Amino acid sequence: MMDRSASHDRPGVSRRDFLKTTGVGVAGGSLATMLEARQAPAQPRGTTLRILQWSHFIPAYDTWFDTKFTKEWGDKLGVKVRVDHIPHLELPARMAAEFAAGAGHDIIMNGSSILTRLYYKSLADISDIFDSTGKKHGGWIPTAKPLVEVEGRQFGVPMFYILLPMLYRKDLFDANNLKAPDTWELARVAARTLKPKGHPTGIQFSQCADANLNWRSLLFSFGGGETDPSGENILIDSKETRETLRFAKALFDEGMTPEVFSWDDASDNRFLASGVGCWIHDAISAYRTTEDTNPDVFKNTFIAMEPAGPGGKRVSTAAANVYMIWKFSKNQQAAKEFLVHFLDNFKEGMIQSRGYNMPYLLGDAQKPMPIIGADPKMQILQDFPKIVAFYGHPGPFTTPVQEVVNLFVLPDMFTRVARNQPIEDVMKWGMGEYRRIFAKYKRA
Amino acid sequence: MTVVHRGGDPEVAAGVAAAVPPTVRPRTRSWWRRSTTRRYLFGYTLLAPAVLYVVLLVGAPFLFSLYLALSDASVADPVANFVGLENFRAALESETFILALENSIVFTVVAAIFKGLLGTALAFLLLQNFPGKKIIRGLVVIPFTLPIAISVLNWKWMYDSQFSAINWVLSRAGIIGMYGSPSWPIWLGQPELALWAVIAVNVWRTYPFSAIVLLAGFTAVPTEVLDAAKVDGCNFLQRFHHVIVPMIAPILLIGFLFDTVFTLSDLSVVYLLTQGGPANATKILPVLAYQVGIQAGALGRGAAIALFLFPPLFLLMILLLRNLKRREY
Repeated sequence: MMDRSASHDRPGVSRRDFLKTTGVGVAGGSLATMLEARQAPAQPRGTTLRILQWSHFIPAYDTWFDTKFTKEWGDKLGVKVRVDHIPHLELPARMAAEFAAGAGHDIIMNGSSILTRLYYKSLADISDIFDSTGKKHGGWIPTAKPLVEVEGRQFGVPMFYILLPMLYRKDLFDANNLKAPDTWELARVAARTLKPKGHPTGIQFSQCADANLNWRSLLFSFGGGETDPSGENILIDSKETRETLRFAKALFDEGMTPEVFSWDDASDNRFLASGVGCWIHDAISAYRTTEDTNPDVFKNTFIAMEPAGPGGKRVSTAAANVYMIWKFSKNQQAAKEFLVHFLDNFKEGMIQSRGYNMPYLLGDAQKPMPIIGADPKMQILQDFPKIVAFYGHPGPFTTPVQEVVNLFVLPDMFTRVARNQPIEDVMKWGMGEYRRIFAKYKRA
Repeated sequence: MTVVHRGGDPEVAAGVAAAVPPTVRPRTRSWWRRSTTRRYLFGYTLLAPAVLYVVLLVGAPFLFSLYLALSDASVADPVANFVGLENFRAALESETFILALENSIVFTVVAAIFKGLLGTALAFLLLQNFPGKKIIRGLVVIPFTLPIAISVLNWKWMYDSQFSAINWVLSRAGIIGMYGSPSWPIWLGQPELALWAVIAVNVWRTYPFSAIVLLAGFTAVPTEVLDAAKVDGCNFLQRFHHVIVPMIAPILLIGFLFDTVFTLSDLSVVYLLTQGGPANATKILPVLAYQVGIQAGALGRGAAIALFLFPPLFLLMILLLRNLKRREY
C-alpha cells in the first residue's frame, strides 16, 4: 500500500493545487484575452440577441442600425442580432406583455415613457456598465442618472435624448425688426406682431407627447417644478405655475389660432414647413421636414437656444430614451456587451440620426459634436446638454409622474386656461389630479 | 320467458308461444348505450368546442379582469393584493373618469342612432334592383373591412387643422371662410366639434355592418306578407313599422346588442384621432383604461375602469335576450 503521507512530503504540486493554479490561470487568461479582443466570452457565441426599439424618426437610422451596426457587431462576436421596431407609443404595452410572458427580447428600449421604476425588479442590474461607461466617457449629464436609478442601482443605460428647441423664421423676424426669440417674452412679442400678418405661432394645446414636453419647458424655465428631488412631493401648486399659465394664455390669445387644440406631434412640423408658422418649439424633425419639403422656408429657418424665463432661467425638457435588459434574458452577457458597444459608438449613431440623437455622456457632448457642430444653424444645440431636464423636474421620473404624463394632466391645465377657465379653477383641478394620482401610489 | 294468455284458447296461446322465440328478451342496456344518452352525448360533443372556446377565451379573461379590478395589480408586479372596491372608488373620485363615462354614453347612443338610420337607409337601397348591385353591395362594406389604423389615419388627414379636405371643399363652396378665419372649423380641436368628429368616424366605419345585418333581415320577410299589407292600403312607413320591424325584431335586437358592445369598446378611433383630447373632450372609457392600465402600468385601476360598464351592459343583454325568447313563443 502506498504511503500517502510520503506523497504529501514530495516536492511538487498536488492535484488540488494543480487544479487551483490552472483554473485561475485559464480564467485570468480568458478574461485578459476577452478584454483585449473586446469580445464576449464563448457563451454568447452562436446565440441570438433580440432587441426591441422604436421606429426612429429618421428611417435611414434604422436601416443603418439593423443592417450595418448590429450586424457588424454580431458578426465579430458570433452573435446573431435581431432588431424589432414598433411605434414608440406601443412600447409600454409590449413591455407589459413581455413581462407577463416572462419571455421576449433581451434588450428593450423605452422612448419618452421611461418605465425603469415600474419594472426594475424584473430588469437586470447594469450598474457596472453604467459606471464603467460613464468613467470612460467623462461622466453622465446630471439628469441622466435618475432616469435609470432605483435604490442606488442602475437598471438601464440612458442612450440618447431628443431636444425640442425653438425653430423660428429669421426672415420674418428681421423684416419686422424683431429680436431672435432668446426669451419667452421675445417669442411672445414676435407671435403678437406676426400673427396679424398671417404668421401665427403654435404649441400643442392637446394630448400628445410634444404638449407634455413643451409646456414643461415653459414651466421649468419660469422657475416652476413638478416634484421635489425626492420625487414624493408635488411642486405644481406655486406662483410660478400660475405665472406660466397666465403667460401661456396670453401667448395663445395674441399669437396662436385655435388649430393648436387639435395638433398632434407632427402638426407643428407641417405648420412650419407650410411657411405659415413664425416659430415653433419642436424637435429638429421639423427642421428636417422643412429641409426636405420646402427649401425656401428651410433657408430662413433658424434654431435658437431654449428661451429664458422671466428670471433668466432656461430649462429644456427633452424626450428621454433608455435601453434596458430583462432579467429573464438568457443572453445578458451579450446584451451588456452590445450596450457598451452602442455607447462607445454613440457619435456614429448621432451622425446616422442626422443630429437627432443627443448624448448623455459628457465626453460625447464635447464641442464640436458630429453633424450639429458642423452646421452653423445647428451649432447652438451643443449648448443644450447643460440645461436639459426630463419629466418630474427637478425630481426624478417616477411612476406617479408617468401616470400624470400619460393622462396629459399638465397640457390639459394649459388647454383649460387657453379656453378661458379661471386660473384658480384650473389649479384646483390640476392639483386635484396630481394629488389623486400620487395618493394612489402612496396607498399602494 | 313464458307468455301467459289469460282466459284464451290454449291452442292459440300455444301458437303464440311458439311464434315468440323463448330466447328473445328485452335487452337491459347500460345507461351509456341508451339512445337518449347517446343523443345527448352527441349533442354535447358538438357543443363542446363552442363552450370550451367561450370558457377559455371569454370566461377566463373576464374572470381574470374581475380579479385585476379588485386588486392593486401592476403591469410590473406578479403579486397583487386584494383591495376590494378601492379601484372603483378611486375611479369615481376622478373628474376625468366621470367625463369619460359621460362621453362613452353620448358616443354610444349618438353613434347607435346614426348607424340605425344610415344602416336602414342603405339596406333599403341595396334591396332595390339596379345595375351593378352586387358590386355596390361589396363596396359598401369596405369601411368595415379596411384596417382600422389606415382608415382612421385618412380621417386624421381629412380633419387636419390646416390641410383638411373637408374644410377645403366647404371653403370652396363658400360655406366657411379661408384657413385662419374664425369660421374655419378645427374638427379635432374644438371640444364641441371633436366628439362629433370621432363619432362620425365610428359611424362611417361600422354602419355598413348595420346595413348588412338589416339587409339580411329584410330579405327574410316574405314578399306575400308585404304584398298583403300593400293590398290592405299600408303605406311604406306603416309597412315598415307594423310588418317589417316586428318580423325582423330578433335580428334587430341581436344587431343592436353587437353594435352597442362594439361601440362601447372602440378604443382605436378615439386613440388614433385625439388620444382623448382636447382637454379630455373625447376621452372615453376604453382610452382611459388603456392609458391608466397599460401606459401608466396601474393594471388594477385600468381593469376597474374598463369593467365599469359591465353591470348595465349585462342587464341590457339580459333584457334583450328575454325579449327575444318571448318572441319565439
